Amino acid sequence: MSDSCTVFELKDIRRTYQVGSELVHAIDGLDLQIQDREFIAVIGTSGSGKSTLMHTLGFMDSPTSGQMFFEGEDVSNIGRGDRARLRSTRIGFVFQSFNLLPKLSVLDNVLLPLIYGRQNPANKKELGYSVLERVGMEHRASHRPSQLSGGERQRVAIARSLVNKPRLILADEPTGNIDTKNRGRIMDLFGSLLDEGITLALVTHDDVVAQYAQRRIRMQDGKIVEDDAR
Amino acid sequence: MNPIADIYTGASNGLREVWANKVRTLLSMTGIILGVAALVAMVGIVQGMLGNMRASFERSGGVLRLEVYPREAPESQQHIAGISPGMTWRDIVAIEKAIPLADYVTPIVDMSWESFIANGRRERSMLHGVTPDFAGISNRKLDYGRFIADSDIDAKSPVIVVGSYIAGDLFRNIENVVGQQLRVRGQVYTIIGQFESTASRGFGRSRRGWNYEDRKNYIPATTAMSRYKGDDGVNRIEILASSVEAMPDLMSQINNTLTQTHRGIQDFEIRTQDEQMQELKKLENSFTYSLGGIAGISLIVGGIGIMNVMLASVSERIREIGVRKAIGARGHDIFIQFLAEAVVISILGGLLGLVASVGLLTLAQDLIPQGENISNMPVTAMFYGFLFSSLIGLASGIYPAMRASRLDPIDALRYE
Repeated sequence: MSDSCTVFELKDIRRTYQVGSELVHAIDGLDLQIQDREFIAVIGTSGSGKSTLMHTLGFMDSPTSGQMFFEGEDVSNIGRGDRARLRSTRIGFVFQSFNLLPKLSVLDNVLLPLIYGRQNPANKKELGYSVLERVGMEHRASHRPSQLSGGERQRVAIARSLVNKPRLILADEPTGNIDTKNRGRIMDLFGSLLDEGITLALVTHDDVVAQYAQRRIRMQDGKIVEDDAR
Repeated sequence: MNPIADIYTGASNGLREVWANKVRTLLSMTGIILGVAALVAMVGIVQGMLGNMRASFERSGGVLRLEVYPREAPESQQHIAGISPGMTWRDIVAIEKAIPLADYVTPIVDMSWESFIANGRRERSMLHGVTPDFAGISNRKLDYGRFIADSDIDAKSPVIVVGSYIAGDLFRNIENVVGQQLRVRGQVYTIIGQFESTASRGFGRSRRGWNYEDRKNYIPATTAMSRYKGDDGVNRIEILASSVEAMPDLMSQINNTLTQTHRGIQDFEIRTQDEQMQELKKLENSFTYSLGGIAGISLIVGGIGIMNVMLASVSERIREIGVRKAIGARGHDIFIQFLAEAVVISILGGLLGLVASVGLLTLAQDLIPQGENISNMPVTAMFYGFLFSSLIGLASGIYPAMRASRLDPIDALRYE
């Protein structure tokens, strides 16, 4: 079993898909431990299995076989409802294309995870403003996402991932749609989250971005072929 | 975890979505709006019209009134049908003498439509021969003068009681026409009474349009027989029972008496208002169900419209569904959100339909000018129309909502 500092532990995880008559091994016997307040960058070419790994860590997908422990608990075979609950309370997501809902204001976007997490704190609005302040976007709270630049949208998306005080934030190419000037700002923001007790894992193919992480994992054909921690 | 909170969240999301797509929502509501409006307006108009017919029945004697009509003798008596004298004045006399349960008895001698001439003007109206008892059965009120008296019957007097139509059209500018004279088929009559107009309470058009009650004029039955018929035949007999309890006895007594005067031939039939009320009820039901059915079909079509819009809305928002799921929405959160949207659309449509139906009924009321309501507000139909439209919305939202809730978050997020 994992010790108290381990956020995630994966043991011999496999994920296969049936595509037509072919069996695709997206993850093929993967072992991984993620420690508390670690900042991990997962690198790899497309089709290497890094996205599937992120989906698995984010409880969006379940492995075909293998064991998974999250905060010490066996989560290998939990149901859809439990996975949704973990997503809404313990995990924050940041996407390459931001994925803010265009019809909601910045503040409403940020507060969305609280609705699904069944959390209805009295100071909901203040909480929303405080996370927006954390990413330097509080002055844009009543704007629509379409009124913001790419970098600003990603900061709002980060605020959204922070609002439910998650243990782990997963980011899928978070700087993929952002210019280089803003890229540094976003990555610094990520780095600063570690001090708040948040563990970070991001997928990237950008070596510059990967340099911000403390630990780099390279994936190929569903396996980890390089890991700084080893 | 809290279903009330789930529904609240779903409904507020639904409302927001409805508001964000105002035009599309309005278009998708059209079917429901028209369906509810048609249902309520049609039921309202039918109920109003039949209600007036019923009120008209009530006024003319209600359930206490019996009518005796001639009819063909039954098959078994056809060969001897000729021995019956038919319905005649003698039937009236016999009923008056033998049956105390009958409060009033009058023959109706029909001349149907006649030309009434006076002051150089000519108007067509109906003429009937009756006895004084008619006043007790018909319950009509006189504005001026008196009704036909027994002495008029005995003397076969050339007198007439006119309805408001003849009074108004032949004698313009004369308020009280009692004492005036008019001619029908060359015979001169002196007006002895003038009926109050029913235009403010009857079924049908105003006095300028058609209204049976106001176009009926009455002369003594004996006058009608001697001047026009040449015999003592009557077209039908109207009888008013002394009480509802007396009706069965009264009917068998009438049957016995007439069987005797008709020499055993059953060439008459006794009709009650109750039967006519049953007919009316049947008519009302068949109207209500057929119109309700038509409106129901248009509501179902409206529901299909909503389903179509909801399916389009789901395909349009697959990515949004993916995002919501990724940040923790469960299947049933999404299900409730989309279902609430459909229900919100149909409830709004239902409410707009009710508003439209009130407008239609008010319009119907204005187009048919008369004091009595032709179209009362059918509260029951409104309730069911609204309930049904909401249920249709619920039903048509289930499938799209289910599709939305079953989307896989990873696939949904990848969807372009």
